[in-house]
Amino acid sequence: MKNKLYLYLKELNKKLSIRQKINFAILFEATIIAAISIFIFLTVRTLLSKVKFVEQFDNINIYFLEMRKAEKNYFLYHDINSLIEAYNKGKFVAGELNKNRKVLIHILTKKIYNTLNYTLNNYLTTLQKIKRSPKDKKYTSSLREYGHKLTDLSIHLIKRERKKINKIIHHVTLMILMSLFGIFLAHMLTWRYFSYVLTKKLIKMKKMTNEVAQGRFHEVSLIQSKIKDNVQDEVGIVITAISKMAKELEKREEQLLQAKKLVSLGVLISGVAHELGNPLNNISMLSEGFLTYYDSLSDEEKKKFMQDIQEQADRIKKIVRNLLDFSRQKKPELKVCKLEEVIEKSLALVENQLKISNIKVHKNFPSSLPNVQIDEDQIQQVLVNLYTNAMQAMSKGGDLFIDVFTSDTKNNIIIKVRDTGIGINPETLPHIFDPFFTTKGTKGTGLGLSVSYGIIRQHNGKISVESEQEKGTTFTIELPVYQENKEE
Amino acid sequence: MDNTQISILILDDEPIVTKRLKPSLQKKGYLVETFTKSIDAINRFKEKPFDIVITDLKMEGMDGMEFLTQVKEMRPETEVIVITGFATMDTAKESFQKGVLDFLAKPFKLSEIHEAVAKAEKKILDQKE
Ligand SMILES: Nc1ncnc2c1ncn2[C@@H]1O[C@H](COP(=O)(O)OP(=O)(O)O)[C@@H](O)[C@H]1O
Ligand SMILES: [Mg+2]
Repeated sequence: MKNKLYLYLKELNKKLSIRQKINFAILFEATIIAAISIFIFLTVRTLLSKVKFVEQFDNINIYFLEMRKAEKNYFLYHDINSLIEAYNKGKFVAGELNKNRKVLIHILTKKIYNTLNYTLNNYLTTLQKIKRSPKDKKYTSSLREYGHKLTDLSIHLIKRERKKINKIIHHVTLMILMSLFGIFLAHMLTWRYFSYVLTKKLIKMKKMTNEVAQGRFHEVSLIQSKIKDNVQDEVGIVITAISKMAKELEKREEQLLQAKKLVSLGVLISGVAHELGNPLNNISMLSEGFLTYYDSLSDEEKKKFMQDIQEQADRIKKIVRNLLDFSRQKKPELKVCKLEEVIEKSLALVENQLKISNIKVHKNFPSSLPNVQIDEDQIQQVLVNLYTNAMQAMSKGGDLFIDVFTSDTKNNIIIKVRDTGIGINPETLPHIFDPFFTTKGTKGTGLGLSVSYGIIRQHNGKISVESEQEKGTTFTIELPVYQENKEE
Repeated sequence: MDNTQISILILDDEPIVTKRLKPSLQKKGYLVETFTKSIDAINRFKEKPFDIVITDLKMEGMDGMEFLTQVKEMRPETEVIVITGFATMDTAKESFQKGVLDFLAKPFKLSEIHEAVAKAEKKILDQKE
């Protein structure tokens, strides 16, 4: 039974929007406040009637006292007028008692009212009897007795009601304080609840928007399907909207990538044309010269011509090979592996050249690194590109630092490749990742960094550069850590 | 130095181009100097005004476009012939706006260079009269 209720509430919790929940909470609080108000109103009303009664009864009491004073006067001076006065006062009170009969019965109970009425009547009849035969001592004592009883009773009643009033006031104050506290507590609780619910969801939203900002559209777009059977309140709707947006962005990004590919194809073609144009022109000029001067050339000179032509052909070969690397930007074949091993392997590839170039390698890896999911060949290619550039920047020798560490958030592994070479001019810095951008003339292709950039991007990573002229250059690669159970 | 002899400056970062062009133009009776670095070429041009300049467009260091702009500013009567590995419509347009006489795409035949130079020579001689 209890379980059923819990499940029902849980279901309701999912179905209701935050606005409905807030309305519900407001309604609930309003009902409580209304109930308390009605209760206070009723209590105050009884309180007021009691106060009124006490006031009235105070009046009656005064009449009683005056009646008794007149009675005493009569006994002292035997003035018949005092007797009449006492009688009139008593009669007046009797009239009052009769007039307010209903109210008085209600407050005093019938029994007490009757006693009061009865005693007063007795008193009055005794007064009349005394008036008729003033010498009769028998009546005087019973009159005193009745009078005494009346004043006693009225004082007692007033005291009793005063006590009651005090008690009610005390209760009401306590009541008001307690309800205020209760309302405050209820308010705090609902407020806490809503702020908890909202912050929890906002934090989730923040996470999502962060992911969107970092370009991880895919993960965010998946949330949409997950949320279907989940909470459908306002924040849920926003989360769904963000997720949808991410999906759209993902689509757009793909389109954009396609467009960019076309643009870079244009850059590529013009670059290729230029790159190939020069050696082709050289071959053309050499062969033209060779044919023109053939008869006058010595064997040695003929050989030199052919060697030059061969060199230019090699140059074309190199460009074409790099171009193939560039065009082979296939999807990486991801495998979980240890980054430090990949780095060691890549270093082994250039070990000899480093030694010849008089470059000292300084490795700095922590003892244990989280795994990464990468295409080993591609990442090696990136690293070798960076080493090659570093070597070319340190033609007179130098130091190559390779630092690997985990980011503060533990989500990324960071590789820093730093050289002590010539550095990069701030004006050229923004262009170094462009295809065919090179400052090395015919010795460079300008494809190394462009290819590397593409590879790292395909690994959902980042590559960036910092450089100071004459001091050196640092390339920073960020790769996402492999998460074993990618569920959340 | 013979006054009637036409002087030519050749700038291309490909040594083979300068090496091949120089003798073939010298044989035609021109006074030829070659450079592979634009900075050297511009310094030399400041010392000695050439009648004809042959330059590549895309090179290391100073861009060929910048070089020919400076040349035209210093000496507007110098005729400029551009040789380039790859020409887009934009670069061709820009060159002609700057007053370039001819625009040759690589690979070219020596005869094409000779024709362009002859055209430039004729223009210079016409203007002298
Ligand atoms: N470590 C470095 N130090 C100085 N300059 C660098 C370094 N790495 C790259 N560069 C600059 O970036 C340019 C592009 O590099 P890259 O794409 O590898 O092409 P390439 O090496 O063929 O010129 C280089 O020509 C060079 O100017
Ligand atoms: Mg390189």
